[in-house]
Amino acid sequence: MPSFKLDDAEIPFEPGDTIIRAAHKAGVDIPHYCWHPGLTVAANCRMCLVEVDPPPGRPAMMLDVLEWNAEKHDYVPQKKPKLQPACQFAAADGLVVKSQSSSHVTRARAAVQELLLLNHPVDCPICDQAGECRLQDYWLEHQGTRKRMKDEPIHKPKGVVFGPTIVYDAERCIVCTRCVRFCEEVAKDPVLSVRERGNLAEITVSPGRELDHPYTLMTEYVCPVGALTATDFRFKARVWFLRSARTVCTGCATGCNSFTDFDPRTQEVYRYRPRENLGINKYWMCDEGMLDYRRIAADRQLIASVDGKPSDREQALARAAELFEGAPPESTAVVLSAEHSLEDNFALLELAKDGLKTSLVYVTGRAAGQGDDVLRDPDKNPNTNGVKKLAPQAKSFAELVKDAADGKLTHVLSLGSHTPADAAALAQVKHLVVLASHVGPLTEHAKVVLPAASWAEAEGTFINRNGLIQESERAVTPRGDSRPAFRWVHELRLALDRPPAWKKLGELRAAMQPASAGMTGARP
Amino acid sequence: MEPIDQELDPAEIELPTEPMLLNVGPAHPAMHGTVRIVMELSGESIERCDVQVGYLHRGFEKMCERGTWTQVFPYVDRCNYVSPMLNNVGFALACEKLLGIEVPERCQWYRMALGELARMSDHLTCTGAMAMELGAFTPFLWMIKGREMIWDLMEEETGARLTHSFGRVGGMAHPPTDGFKAHAEAVSAHILEILAEVEQLLLGNRIFLDRLENVGVISVEDAISLGWTGPCLRACGIAYDVRKSHPYMKYGEVEFDVPVGQTGDSFDRFIVRVEELKQSVRIIRQCLARLSDSGPVNVNDPRVILPPKEEVYSSIEGTIQHFKIVMEGLKLPAGEVYAFTEGGNGELGFYIVSDGSGTPYRVRIRPPCFYVTGGLERVITGAMMADVVPAFGSLNMIGGECDR
Amino acid sequence: MAKALVDLIKQKFPADVLEAHSQRGDETVVVYAPRWKDVARFLRDEPRADMSMLVDLTAVDFPDRTPRFEVVAHFYSLSKGHRLRLKARVGDSDGGNAEIDTLSDIWASANWAERECFDMFGVRFAGHPDLRRILLYPEFEGHPLRKDYPADRIQPLVPYREVPDIDKIPPFRTDEGMSFGRQTHAQRASDDDDLN
Repeated sequence: MPSFKLDDAEIPFEPGDTIIRAAHKAGVDIPHYCWHPGLTVAANCRMCLVEVDPPPGRPAMMLDVLEWNAEKHDYVPQKKPKLQPACQFAAADGLVVKSQSSSHVTRARAAVQELLLLNHPVDCPICDQAGECRLQDYWLEHQGTRKRMKDEPIHKPKGVVFGPTIVYDAERCIVCTRCVRFCEEVAKDPVLSVRERGNLAEITVSPGRELDHPYTLMTEYVCPVGALTATDFRFKARVWFLRSARTVCTGCATGCNSFTDFDPRTQEVYRYRPRENLGINKYWMCDEGMLDYRRIAADRQLIASVDGKPSDREQALARAAELFEGAPPESTAVVLSAEHSLEDNFALLELAKDGLKTSLVYVTGRAAGQGDDVLRDPDKNPNTNGVKKLAPQAKSFAELVKDAADGKLTHVLSLGSHTPADAAALAQVKHLVVLASHVGPLTEHAKVVLPAASWAEAEGTFINRNGLIQESERAVTPRGDSRPAFRWVHELRLALDRPPAWKKLGELRAAMQPASAGMTGARP
Repeated sequence: MEPIDQELDPAEIELPTEPMLLNVGPAHPAMHGTVRIVMELSGESIERCDVQVGYLHRGFEKMCERGTWTQVFPYVDRCNYVSPMLNNVGFALACEKLLGIEVPERCQWYRMALGELARMSDHLTCTGAMAMELGAFTPFLWMIKGREMIWDLMEEETGARLTHSFGRVGGMAHPPTDGFKAHAEAVSAHILEILAEVEQLLLGNRIFLDRLENVGVISVEDAISLGWTGPCLRACGIAYDVRKSHPYMKYGEVEFDVPVGQTGDSFDRFIVRVEELKQSVRIIRQCLARLSDSGPVNVNDPRVILPPKEEVYSSIEGTIQHFKIVMEGLKLPAGEVYAFTEGGNGELGFYIVSDGSGTPYRVRIRPPCFYVTGGLERVITGAMMADVVPAFGSLNMIGGECDR
Repeated sequence: MAKALVDLIKQKFPADVLEAHSQRGDETVVVYAPRWKDVARFLRDEPRADMSMLVDLTAVDFPDRTPRFEVVAHFYSLSKGHRLRLKARVGDSDGGNAEIDTLSDIWASANWAERECFDMFGVRFAGHPDLRRILLYPEFEGHPLRKDYPADRIQPLVPYREVPDIDKIPPFRTDEGMSFGRQTHAQRASDDDDLN
C-alpha cells in the first residue's frame, strides 16, 4: 500500500487520493472549510495548506517575503516555502507532508482564520451553528488572538429567504461554495451561485427561482458556518443540549443512515442529520427524510382505545385477549406492517403461528410516493424487504380488502397504522385489533387499539431496498402509553396463555436470527 | 451486718457489669462538623469505638463530573470550608499541571498571600475551638476576632467571606485590590497581638496543660501508617511540610520555619498550629513585599482564560473565546495527574483524570482530614471520655473535607 | 527519582507490570490485579523504595473497558521523597467480580480509603477487617460514583430500623453495620423491669 508521511504518521492512500482525503480516511484531521469528501475540490478557503517537502534532488519552491522584525523595527526579507492545499495536492508514495509540525503552516492557519473572521458578525449568541461551528473550533485551536482590523466590518444582507426551507445570512458566509457545488453535483440542480467578488461576495439564487429541489436541507448541512440555516430548525434548540442516536431513516425503502437529535431532558426529537454510509446514502439525505422526524410526535396514537373510546393499557389488553380467545383459525388473520421493524413483525408472525394457529398473513404499509435516481425510493416503507423475507407467502393489502369485503375474516390482528389503499372494507371485520403508532385508517375501524412505539422509541432492525440489514438505535423513551409493538405481542401472548420463548429484546433477536440469515448485515 | 450477709462469700458477690453504649453525635457541639462516635465505655474509659463519618457527604466527586473544570471551584471551596483559598489554589495548580502552564509571578505571590491568610483562618478556628471546648471562652472569642479580620479582608478581595470560588485555571478571578497590601499587613499585625495575648492566657494555665499534655497520643509509626500529614504529623516529630519538601509556586523563595512537635499528643498539635500561625504571618509579609502592583494576574492563553467582557460584546473573537470556554469548558489534555499542596490539615491532593473534553472525567480530592479522622479510633481507644473532646478537637477534622 | 522506582518494580515483577507511563512528572505503573498486594508490600519493605505512606487509594470507572474499574493508589516515601501511582484493573462490565486484595494490614490508611472505594464503586477488598459503607448510610442502594449511576436518582425511603436485642452486647459485628436504631419509648418501657 503506498503511503506518505504526515507529521509523524504514515498515512496509506489509494492512487488518486489527495492528501486531505487520505488523511481523513486515516482519521487524521487537517483543518478545512471548503473541502467535503462528497463534493469536488474548490480549494478556495486555503485553510488546509500544508508544507510539502520537494522531491529528492529538487530545490524547494521558496517565496521571497518581507517579515516585520521587532528588534530592528523594520521589515526584513525572508524566504518561506510555498504551501500547498492538501485538498488539491495528489498524494504520492514517499511524500513528506508537514501539518502542525511546521511553523509556516500554523502561521498560515492563524492568518486564514483571522481573514475569515475579519468581517464576521458577532452573532454567536443567536446563530444556530454555535456549538457545531468550524469557525469557533478552528479559532480556538489554530488562532486564539484578536484581529488587527480596526475598521467597521462589511455589512451584507441577513435573513435572505432562499426558499421554503432555507434562510441565508450573507454576513456569516465565508463563500466556501460548498452549497453551490452540492446543488450542482449531488442534487443536479445548479440553482445557487456566487455573486460579486472580494469583500462583497455572497451566494445568490438564480433569478426567477427558489431553492426548492428535494435536497435543500443538505445545503444547510454542508454549510460549515451559520450562513445557511433551516427554517425548520432555526432557533428551536441549542445543539449542545441535544444527544444523537444512530438511527436509520424510515421515510422510504432506501434506508439512509441518520442521527436522531433529541433533548434528553424533555425527550423531544428536534431534527435528523445524515450519517455517513458510503454504501447507501454516502453523506446525504433528502428533504422528505430529514423532515420525517416530525412524524415521531405528530398524529400519534398515544392512548389505548376500546370501541373508539380511550382506555387504559390493562383494560385494552384484556379486551383484546378476550376478542381473540377461541378465534377460529380459518377466519383469523394477521397483518404485518412494512413500516415496522423486523422485531415487531417477527413477534407478530410468531403469535400468528404459535398463538393463533393461523397461516393467513397479509402485509400493509404506506402508499407509494415519488422517487428519483439520487436517493429517494417510491416505496415509502422502510422494511418491505424485511417483511418479505420473514413471510414470503404473505398476501397483499388488496387481497386483505377483498377477503374482508367477502366476509371471510372475523378476527384480524394488525400491526401498523397506514394502508396503501382505501381501507373502508375493514369495517366488515367484526374483531379488528390494531397495534398502531399513529392514528390512521386502521385505527379508525379497530375495536381495540393498542398504542405502539414509533421507530425512534425502540430499537429496530430494517432491511432496505437492496437487502441490507440495518439496526436503528433507540432515541427517546416511548411517549404516552405506547410501548414497542413486540412488547405488546409479548403481553398479548401472556394474556392468551400462550407465552413466547423470549422475554427480552436480546432473546427475541436471537430467535429471529435464522429469519434474517444470509443477508449482508450493517450495524450502526 | 445482717445475718444473711455474714454467710456470703465476698468473692461470690459479683455485680453484673456490661460496657455502656454511648452515642456521641452527630449533632453534638464538640463533634466538629457532624461526626458520630459510638463508644463502648467501661466506666469512663473507652473500650471500643466506631467513628462514623459521612453526614456531610454531598457527592462532590460525582457533581464535578457533570460540569466543566471551572465549575469544580465552588465544590472544592466547600471542602475545607475554613480555608477555602487553599483548596482553590490546590485545584487550580492541579489543572495547570495537567495543562503544562504556569501562572505569572504576580499571581503566584497573590495566591500565596491569600493561601496563608486562609491557613491562618483555619488554625485560628481550630485552636480557638480547642480552647473553648476546654472551657476557655475568652481566647476563643479573641481568635474569632482575628478570624473576622481575615474574613473582612477576603470579602474585600473576593466578595465572599468564606466560599470565595476565586481561583481559576490559569490565574485568579480578579486582580488584587489597591488596598490589599495595607489591609493584609494590618491584619497580620493584629493577629500577632492576639496570639501573644492568647498564649499568655493559655500556655501557663495548669488546667489547660493538664488536659492536653499526654492526651490523645499517637506514635510516629501509627501516624505515618495512617496517612497523617500536616500539623498532626508534625506534632509527632516528622518535619514533613509540602511547602518545604516539595516547594510549589514561590515557596522555595520565602523563608519560614516548620514547627515540629515531640510527643504527638494534643498539646503538641495545639502548639504546632499556634507556631504555624506566626510562620504564616512571616510568609505573608514576604509575599506582600514581592507582590508587584501591576502586571497580569492571568496567564495569557485563550484556551483557559475568559476574555474581558467588553471584548465579548464587541468582537467576534472575544465572543468565540467566551463561548468555547463557557459552553464546552476549558479542555484539559487527556490523561491524569496528581497535584498536592499543603492544605490546612496536611497534604491536600487532587487526582484528576481528563478525557480531553471540557468535562472532568474523575476528580478525586485527597482529603487530609479523612485520613486523620481514620486514626481517631486509635487515638481515643483506651482514653477517657473527657479526653475525646480535646483529642478530637486537636485533630481539626473539617466535616466538609472529610466527607465531601 | 521515581523513574528508578518504576525500573525497580519492573525488575522484581517482570511478568506483572502491564503498563508504565509518565505524564507531567507523575510515574504510573499498572500491575496485574492478583499481584496487587505483593507489589505494594515490596514497595514498603524494599529499602530503595521505602514507601512509608499510602497517600490515597481510590478507583476510576471506565465502563467501556473490561476490566471496568481501575483501582489507583498513590504512595509516598517520607525518607526519599519520591512518589508513585500504582494501578490495577478489576471488575466486569456490569460491575461484578471487582475484587482485589486489601492493603489495610500494610498501611492503616488503607482501611478507610478502601471502605470509601467500596462505598462509591462497589470494589470489594479481600481480607479487609470491616468492609462496610463509610460515607453513605447502609441502606443506600447502588454505588454512586459508577458512571451508570444517574446523579439525579432518588433513593427509596428507609423505614425506621427495627433493632432487636439493642441492649445486648456486642453491637459491632461486621455483618451488622450500624446496629443502633431509633429508640422509641415503647421499646424501652420493658427495661424498667430489669432494675429489680
